[in-house]
Amino acid sequence: MPLKLFCCDECIPERQNHVYIKEEGEDTTQYLPLSNIETIPGSLSERGCSYCGAKLVIGGVIKDCIQMIHGPVGCAYDTWHTKRYPSDNDNFQLKYVWSSDTKEKHIVFGAEKQLKKAIKEAFKEFPKIKRMFVYTTCTTALIGDDPKAVCREVEEELGDVDIFVVECPGFAGVSQSKGHHELNIGWMRDKIGTLEPEIKSEYTINVIGDYNIQGDTYVLQRYFDKMGIQVIAHFTGNVTYDQLRCMHRAKLNVVNCARSAGYIANELKRVYDIPRMDVDTWGFDYIKVALRKIGAFFGLEDKAEEVIADEVAKYEGKLNWYKERLKGKKVCIWTGGPRLWHWTKALEDDLGMEVVAMSSKFGHQEDFEKVIARGRVGTIYIDDGNELEFFEVLDNIHADIIFTGPRVGDLVKKLHIPYINGHAYHNGPYMGFEGAVNMARDMYNGIYSPMWSLAGKDPRVVQEL
Amino acid sequence: MNEKIEEVTALIQKQCLWQFFSRSWDREENIEGIMTMTGKILNGDKINLVTPADKAFYSDAKFLAAEIQKKMPWLFELDKSGVLELIEGVKERLLYIAVKKSRNCELNLSNY
Repeated sequence: MPLKLFCCDECIPERQNHVYIKEEGEDTTQYLPLSNIETIPGSLSERGCSYCGAKLVIGGVIKDCIQMIHGPVGCAYDTWHTKRYPSDNDNFQLKYVWSSDTKEKHIVFGAEKQLKKAIKEAFKEFPKIKRMFVYTTCTTALIGDDPKAVCREVEEELGDVDIFVVECPGFAGVSQSKGHHELNIGWMRDKIGTLEPEIKSEYTINVIGDYNIQGDTYVLQRYFDKMGIQVIAHFTGNVTYDQLRCMHRAKLNVVNCARSAGYIANELKRVYDIPRMDVDTWGFDYIKVALRKIGAFFGLEDKAEEVIADEVAKYEGKLNWYKERLKGKKVCIWTGGPRLWHWTKALEDDLGMEVVAMSSKFGHQEDFEKVIARGRVGTIYIDDGNELEFFEVLDNIHADIIFTGPRVGDLVKKLHIPYINGHAYHNGPYMGFEGAVNMARDMYNGIYSPMWSLAGKDPRVVQEL
Repeated sequence: MNEKIEEVTALIQKQCLWQFFSRSWDREENIEGIMTMTGKILNGDKINLVTPADKAFYSDAKFLAAEIQKKMPWLFELDKSGVLELIEGVKERLLYIAVKKSRNCELNLSNY
């Protein structure tokens, strides 16, 4: 039976529709796990909230904005500083966070005045910053505050500021995916096309779905610079608010993420006739394909081959060193959504590893179609996995290393299995040629660390010996 | 021919993201555009890239055609009509898997 009910889920049998084990000859017309639906009561989900999806994942990356969180101060802290996306302006977006700091009295009497005060105070304290994101949270959405009206008032009063409002409280959707969606669609609707960029090349692209995790954007930018391609905007790695307003002037949208990233590309295609090209920017072989495809689009095949030749000369030897040591090792990928299908075949093709289990926190069925099409027979595919399921997976299969977040990572470490931070990386960047080597090095260091042979020993016993 | 169609479909399933775009309409558009362009490349036909969409289809098709040529030596035994039959067969299989029988509940939503 390819849909699997874990023993730990016997009391929540609905979970069977979220777990699939691929068998020979099957495709996604036969089985596709349910996803992007409410977490089943009784299942301790590791999903984030919708507000978090908007702020922490997408908006918070932008490097020149005040990020004003309209709600209690905890909503600000919990989406600040926990994901490593640097910028070339001294990491402004990582250093600061702003909150309207709503309290009980604001919930009773309304928090709009408090928001207005906070916005004006923030602009005053950071006089060089003229752009702002405002996010609603559960409390301020429930009391019916109208942050858009407040922001229009402030824009009129101050004259030289531009504010984008994301109305996506934590409860708006079933996971952080709703936050990605609301921000992306809102930005397309309200901001793209409101500013004209300076065009410096006849070859222009947007890169949609690269968030500069530990410098991914810098890696991609170097390749495009060498090819003579101008990136109008990276959505949203190391990017300014105003660059993102200019996305309508690109000739091609290169998409590396899923679903609502694709929706932006689809809307740019519909409104501005800009084609969408989906690529994998993780993976040693995949990045070659991505560069060749972009090169073919612009007639820059030679330039693409030059970049590939340079990078292969620098990194292939290193990758092969790790391949010798990682071949046959078994991997689990328990991350958000797209990384499952970006990474599974890349790890197998580039390094000879075997991906034995994959779990997605917020992926949609589109993600599962891709990952099951690319993934191996016998691999376990899980939607919205919970901790007991993870433990049961590890009871039934051997895993040498697990890509996941720090919370689940700490759990698996207690089983003496190394984990790599699959969201924010251990020592990235992980994109591009050098990224593939970095990823391999982190896995090698995890698997071969001498710490694991010591971790199971009782130090008191060792001392006695 | 059926075996050849399955072999190319399996390659596309593993390699190509364009078959799994957001909605039925853009999957259908890609399958038609990219597979038709792939057929032209494999048959050595003259290719006229007029619109931005043509260029995008060409970019994906160029990669796919190269993969088929590299991995499927039987391709060189096919004449032009054989290649067209192969392409039409693969289109049909992809439409079946990614559109007609897809279990993806979001494929036909009208709004984003």
